[in-house]
Amino acid sequence: MGNSPADFSQLASDAILYNPSDLACWVDSLLTEFAEPPPTCSSDFIVDPVNNQTVVNSAWTFAEPHTPQVHQNITYDEQQSLDNQLTVVTAMEEDSGIRLVHMLMTCAECVQSGDLSLATSLIDDMQGLLTHVNTVCGIGKVAGHFIDALSRRIFQGMGGGSVNGGSAFENEILYHHFYEACPYLKFAHFTANQAILEAFDGHDCVHVVDFNLMHGLQWPALIQALALRPGGPPLLRLTGIGPPSPDGRDSLREIGLRLAELARSVNVRFAFRGVAASRLEDVKPWMLQVNPKEAVAVNSIMQLHRLLGCEQTRNSPIDTVLSWIRGLNPKIMTVVEQEANHNQPGFLDRFTEALYYYSTMFDSLEACRIQPEKALAEIYIQREIGNVVSCEGSARVERHEPLAKWRRRLSGAGFRALRLGSNAFKQASMLLTLFSAEGYSVEENEGCLSLGWHSSPLIAASAWQAVPAWDNHMSSS
Amino acid sequence: MVEERYQEGALEIIEKKRTKFFINDHEDIVVEILKRLDARSLGVAACVCRLWCSVARNDSLWEHLCFRHVSPPPSGSRPVIVALGGYRRFYMAVLSRLGRASTIVTTAAAAAPWTSDEFQLSLSLFCVDCYERLNGGVDRTNGGDNVVKPHRRRRR
Repeated sequence: MGNSPADFSQLASDAILYNPSDLACWVDSLLTEFAEPPPTCSSDFIVDPVNNQTVVNSAWTFAEPHTPQVHQNITYDEQQSLDNQLTVVTAMEEDSGIRLVHMLMTCAECVQSGDLSLATSLIDDMQGLLTHVNTVCGIGKVAGHFIDALSRRIFQGMGGGSVNGGSAFENEILYHHFYEACPYLKFAHFTANQAILEAFDGHDCVHVVDFNLMHGLQWPALIQALALRPGGPPLLRLTGIGPPSPDGRDSLREIGLRLAELARSVNVRFAFRGVAASRLEDVKPWMLQVNPKEAVAVNSIMQLHRLLGCEQTRNSPIDTVLSWIRGLNPKIMTVVEQEANHNQPGFLDRFTEALYYYSTMFDSLEACRIQPEKALAEIYIQREIGNVVSCEGSARVERHEPLAKWRRRLSGAGFRALRLGSNAFKQASMLLTLFSAEGYSVEENEGCLSLGWHSSPLIAASAWQAVPAWDNHMSSS
Repeated sequence: MVEERYQEGALEIIEKKRTKFFINDHEDIVVEILKRLDARSLGVAACVCRLWCSVARNDSLWEHLCFRHVSPPPSGSRPVIVALGGYRRFYMAVLSRLGRASTIVTTAAAAAPWTSDEFQLSLSLFCVDCYERLNGGVDRTNGGDNVVKPHRRRRR
């Protein structure tokens, strides 16, 4: 496929030769030239040899701002399907996209070194440049969010206000739409459920501790699977942890009631308990009321990274929480985390990582067609970006770490990895095919599963079991 | 004159023959016919008249449709599906939204049967969907029943 910059610059030069008022003919001739559909757009990284920095070579975007009547000649509907998304970019726009990325990097470098005046002028330049770039998709959209986050960081000063100013209610809505728009959370829930189901095999009293209940979307599937398991359903207790709700509403209890209703309709004995805590480290194990005779599963979907502070002190929140989890002696602990390295001390490194990660994620979101789910999912991701880039200290909660680091951390805290098994892998692959999402891929990595876009893993799921205390002396920590 | 009368007489005989058989008098035949339809035709059939509508909405027809080209579903799944809203909802909420459904319907001979894993997953997705409707979310089934708690209707 002639997607190399050389071909496109040739196209661009062709464009200059044509009569600008005859754009319709030029585009028509272009379209007939491309006989076969091109591969799906993706974000690639090319290393800029001049500056030795990576540059995001983003999806080409079709832009024809001058003559809107051109669109009528093109069968735009056919072009809309992701597989056949033929996108053409003018030389100027491709240039602008690359320049934007360069400027973002430079700006981040200035912020890191403290040169705020240069950073501010760069922000202005970038915002001007944004007008030349298509901000509906591709690099323009992601860049827009990063520019916002950078400017917030500069103008609010270090340790600036938290981006997550949204209420818990808002966050739940955004989370729900993110769940609907793309398969990451569905993958997380179903993989964790499969592991929990297998761990609960043979137990009659089971207790699940959910570190972030939200709308409880994960649990109907587990309730249904337990209802149908051979031998009949166990007694299921669910303890849901969530932020306290303002103005007297007990949202945790409401979710619990709905789950109870569902469980009752499929004849599963169910009990719910809500624990309201604004931070996970405030939760104490006695609040969970774990019965020693029951099989416990701890479920953490993108929560553990919030406990990582920047200081590596002893008895940091993560250590405290991991030790009391270990004290519960759970049958299984399911951990799903973003597969990204957003907790490095250096701002520029973090920024670069985040740019790559979120560009890939936005690319994958292009496959979503349903609104308003897509728009709200983007806002959800945007808030994450804002937190990673513009917050510091205790305000920065999105401290993502890659799976390798989590493996070391959890092994060191006295946990042993459980292999997720082929059923989980099959289910994840089926989930993707059922949702007809092209471009997503599931990978297995030493017993852990990860879901990614075009072989860039974006989210990783793993399962753990506490090593019994007496074993600890023998096993290396 | 004679010709006309002859024609009228002939018409009368034809009319008499016609009124002898009216499909709606034989509901069991209607059921047998509708049982063999695909989902879309079943939906269209439901618009014909009140009788056809009640027959087409009969859940056993949809159960038959869901598993027509498939080995018998896992035992015990029936009460769960019924409790969650019935086979019609199952089809509309899950199967029709997934690409799978069209395979089942169009190329009956060539369609691969559902594996039990696929079925389990679809059932789980149905459960999540029902739960979301309990939350007062959007009713994507467009079934016309704007009942927020469908399982209550089905409980015996």
